[in-house]
Amino acid sequence: MPAREIRFRLNGSERRAEVEDQVLLLELVRGLGLAGTKLSCDMQVCGACTVLLDGRPVSSCTTLAIEADGRAIETIEGLADGTALHPLQQAFIDKFAFQCGYCTPGMIVAAKALLDELPRPDRATVRRWMDGNICRCTGYETIVDAVVAASERMGGAK
Amino acid sequence: MGTLRRFEVHRATSVDEAVELRRRYGDDAAVYAGGTELLLAMKLGVARYAHLIDVKPIAAISGVTRTDGIVRVGATTTHWELERDPLLRRALPAFARMEANVANVRVRAAGTLAGNLAFAEPHADPPALLVALGARVTLQGSNGARMVAVADLITGVYETAIGPDEILTHIEIPVPPEDARVAYVKFQILERPSVGVAAIATLREGRFVGAPTLVVGAVDEVPRRVATPRLAGASARAAETRDAIAEAARAAVEPIPDLAGGVEYKRHLVGVFTLRALDELVAEAA
Amino acid sequence: MNADRDARGDRVASTDSDVRPERDVSAGIDVERAGTGGPAGTSAPRADGVAKVTGAARYAIDLALPGMAHAVVVRSTRPHARIVSIDRESAAASPGVLRVITGADLLAAGLWPYYGHIVLDHPVLAIERVRYQGEPVVAVVAESKREAAEAADLVSIEYEDLPIVVDADEALAPDAPIVHEQRGERVGDEGMDQGEAELVGNVCAIARVGWGDVDAAFATADVVVEGEYRYPMLYGYAMEPYNALAFFDQGDLTVYSSAQHVYMVRRDLARMFHLPHARVRVIAPYVGGGYGTKSYTKIEGIASSAAYLTGRAVKLDLSVEEAMLTTRSDSSHIRARSAFTKDGRLLARDFDIVMNSGAYTDNSPIVNSKTANRVFGPYKIPALRVVSRSVFTNTVPGSSLRGFGAPQGNIAGELQMDEAAAKLGIDAVELRLRNLVGPGEEIIPGKRPIDADLRDDLRCLATALDWPGAEGHAVGLGVSASDAGAYPTSTAAVRIHADTSVTLFTGSSELGQGSRTVLGQIVATELGVPLSAVSVVSSDTGVVTYERTTGASRTTTVTGKAVQEACREARRRVRQLAADVLGVPLGSVQDGPGGVRAKGETLTYGEVIERWFGAGGEVLAHGAVRRAEHFQKMPPFWEIGCSGVRLSIDRDTGLVHVDRLTTVGDVGFAINPALVHGQDAGAAMMGLGAAVREELVYEGGQLVNPNVVDYRVPRFSDVPDEMVHLLAERHDGAGPYGAKGAGEGAGNTIGASVASALGRILGVFPHELPVTPERVWRLLRSRA
Repeated sequence: MPAREIRFRLNGSERRAEVEDQVLLLELVRGLGLAGTKLSCDMQVCGACTVLLDGRPVSSCTTLAIEADGRAIETIEGLADGTALHPLQQAFIDKFAFQCGYCTPGMIVAAKALLDELPRPDRATVRRWMDGNICRCTGYETIVDAVVAASERMGGAK
Repeated sequence: MGTLRRFEVHRATSVDEAVELRRRYGDDAAVYAGGTELLLAMKLGVARYAHLIDVKPIAAISGVTRTDGIVRVGATTTHWELERDPLLRRALPAFARMEANVANVRVRAAGTLAGNLAFAEPHADPPALLVALGARVTLQGSNGARMVAVADLITGVYETAIGPDEILTHIEIPVPPEDARVAYVKFQILERPSVGVAAIATLREGRFVGAPTLVVGAVDEVPRRVATPRLAGASARAAETRDAIAEAARAAVEPIPDLAGGVEYKRHLVGVFTLRALDELVAEAA
Repeated sequence: MNADRDARGDRVASTDSDVRPERDVSAGIDVERAGTGGPAGTSAPRADGVAKVTGAARYAIDLALPGMAHAVVVRSTRPHARIVSIDRESAAASPGVLRVITGADLLAAGLWPYYGHIVLDHPVLAIERVRYQGEPVVAVVAESKREAAEAADLVSIEYEDLPIVVDADEALAPDAPIVHEQRGERVGDEGMDQGEAELVGNVCAIARVGWGDVDAAFATADVVVEGEYRYPMLYGYAMEPYNALAFFDQGDLTVYSSAQHVYMVRRDLARMFHLPHARVRVIAPYVGGGYGTKSYTKIEGIASSAAYLTGRAVKLDLSVEEAMLTTRSDSSHIRARSAFTKDGRLLARDFDIVMNSGAYTDNSPIVNSKTANRVFGPYKIPALRVVSRSVFTNTVPGSSLRGFGAPQGNIAGELQMDEAAAKLGIDAVELRLRNLVGPGEEIIPGKRPIDADLRDDLRCLATALDWPGAEGHAVGLGVSASDAGAYPTSTAAVRIHADTSVTLFTGSSELGQGSRTVLGQIVATELGVPLSAVSVVSSDTGVVTYERTTGASRTTTVTGKAVQEACREARRRVRQLAADVLGVPLGSVQDGPGGVRAKGETLTYGEVIERWFGAGGEVLAHGAVRRAEHFQKMPPFWEIGCSGVRLSIDRDTGLVHVDRLTTVGDVGFAINPALVHGQDAGAAMMGLGAAVREELVYEGGQLVNPNVVDYRVPRFSDVPDEMVHLLAERHDGAGPYGAKGAGEGAGNTIGASVASALGRILGVFPHELPVTPERVWRLLRSRA
């Protein structure tokens, strides 16, 4: 099967790739060396593979890579500005919002989509938005703490 | 899982082209939009197609419009768009709320309402409410277009009335009269709802104006309409009305037992959630 | 911390107790407050923080080698069958395929094809017979994963079905189908040291604990409670599924793996390939969740044999669905009796336990023996009889999972305390207080006396939960004490570099529990160097020092002690070097922060090292702990569980709503309070999942929910309205600074707590977990 050329913006850089149709977005980004995006449940319920496609969170395990054609992909690797961490990343560290860290990239990316849309969510809103992201280690509360702390740090308008 | 077997995606730019592709590839092809159900089934190996017909490039079947008391949802419109759509939120707030609680945020961002209907997974939220609202879909095939009520579209578990060369292009949802109340409540402990009840009624001084519409979804193979003709004019709060409604709802379904519960329990839940839907109508009317 | 949590904390702190609300749950190093003279005792930020929030952390699943091949496993579709034939011709001819491997191939190649750290009965790939649906039968190795997967579809296996047994009680029947007609070779005694003659039929292991005249005690009892209890089979769902990358170099085997216990895996692989331990290197980089599920060998043998037979580096990544077919926890069915005097003194307890251990031995004998000695609780019991049998069935092999027998037993032991309280008309907390062992008293004769104040813990827990609850809510709580820490063999090494920075080598794996952070804190504290000058290298058998396991909540206590020993040895060596370079007697050299003091001079480690060597150099020191001194008496420490819930139910649906979950972390001393908090919160949520929702369901020999859509683990929406975590720091542990382990205890009592709270609401105590809405509804209806 002939590969298709796609052009997309990946964490701010224009990229080009040749992909066969059945290649998944997860395979594309990990194939490009961005291994922060993780595969776990493979059924769109755990959120470890969350990336933003034109700002919307999607399960990259169940999204075709060709869907990225002409669009912007944002992965966990795109959040920090050089060595300066994104406020969400810093808050996750400060609040001990992870342990094994396997869910963390997807968790942070999902939270970013939330704060992009709702800069000052309350705890209930955070819980509801993040309900599709599973963490097996923390018991979740510290993650809510971190998202709320980041939103405050980012000075989101209430 | 983890890898998809090979297939080719055909990007249709018009409905005619999509119809033509369906004719050409027959059972080897599936219509593809959000992919949340289709790609999952393919990863699980329960479905295998050599060709996917991508309908997302078809501009004519996207977005939400309203004309003459009907909200028209294009087939490629996602749940994410519907829960945020200002027009839909104004015209059918209960529907927008239901959309905001479908699956999780990522599935909503990619999955479409039309895909949800076309896949006919019985444990789903939208069908019951759409049936209650009297929604219809447009199916376009090589012999032209036809309108089918959602109630007639879903014919069984993963089975629909969509013909082999047809494309579901739009969902048309009549906006209920100004004084009608609409509610959708569900019980969900797993990834999908195990009981969903849609209720529509007009209440005046606590009594039904005409018969209320009640549809139970997610529990049986297809959404089931609850027989309510005797309830026209009944007091919504009266114990005998409530008992009659719960009884009628329980009798309307043949629950599918699964990990969320057995037949008896689910039938009980149907009664409970039918009354909760009713309570929501009454509370809203008050 | 938010205001309402502070308010709750104050209420508890005002009691006359050592229990305090959690402190310092945000990252920060306040050495003044720590009291150890260093960062030990502070919520130092995680050593792996930046790596994990930026996506830079590399797990075994992320690793690749140029030219590596990929393996895909073909699994048995039958729960019990003889393999008649395997047709692999078309698979072998499929594009990209390097080799299609069967169990017979391993035998033909002269490899030892079984693994197991207790009994060698687990075939790497099935040999002649399959014993559960999902068992690996064939490994297809190809240039790409896609090609391997496509070829795997072409493998056709012909089976001849054999009778199956799925239920453990049925497996004990005299005419039950036998899962293992021949037993594997015994290579470990743990959990297998009893009842040799009784290991017949499907009995995998047997454990007995007891003393006193039980029958006589029951005969004199005023009140007896009796019942049967069930705890479900669970899947731990560590989010990184099992995976391994194996290759041979000059005949030496290297395996990158998601394993918790790299040294245990090394032993299995060395045996398999007839290699000396020194020629097998097992490396666990960051591990994406463990919880016991990654203890011991899983799929390393498949990846390694594929590498051996193809001469290539081979990667094997399981899916989560396959992981669910690899390991689960042992379920329990317990027949229990407890006898009391009318004033609530325990006279005797009697437990007959059957554990469903699945198709292979794995770690079930130890889980079984732990269930046996954790089931009766930390009470003064004049007469006790426990017999626990681990039973083979045609289901996914059972093995370790957080709590390790404790939650499986606690449901019976603790719930009977509540049932007895109701029957006796005595408050359930008071009943426990009357029977709990006090600090320094023995739970089991000859074992380490309990290193905790359970009565104080329980009182604080009860206060924090507003015991006994109010209208519309009910409180359930409980205690447990686990003989934790595993066998206390641990070593560590520290290298002090010429710039006074330090590298710690430890065999302990970073599973997320924070071992790198905590062990680094101990090093920084012991050596008086900043945390930023300490680097931790872990879990690589080719480099680091021996560590028996990373499990049983042992790292802080046991490994921490080895690290302390290594630091002390390093300081001794530096003093020796300083005495040499300064020409002073050894006795006149004093330890100082980050160096030594002598002759009125202060020298950093680096200065001592450079002056001794002339240029460059380093000091290397080893520390070891064994079953001696602090750890002579087993267990190394008692892990305390003291948690509970406050809940309500929706009477229409049976849905349980937990509005408060409280844990008391009785950890002796929190070397990193925020990490203790994380362990308690995580363990408690895992316990809650098992209490209300999680259960692997079998229909016949088929697992019907082998994915995390149908096997639902807790989500954000399942978090109780309030989570309250208390800390008890009495410096009563055998670990560094009086610390003892955490990480499992907080979850151990949650199942029984939920059941007991429900019992108070329903008027009937549920004896089976999880209490799904349907089960609660049925109980409600049975009362109506």
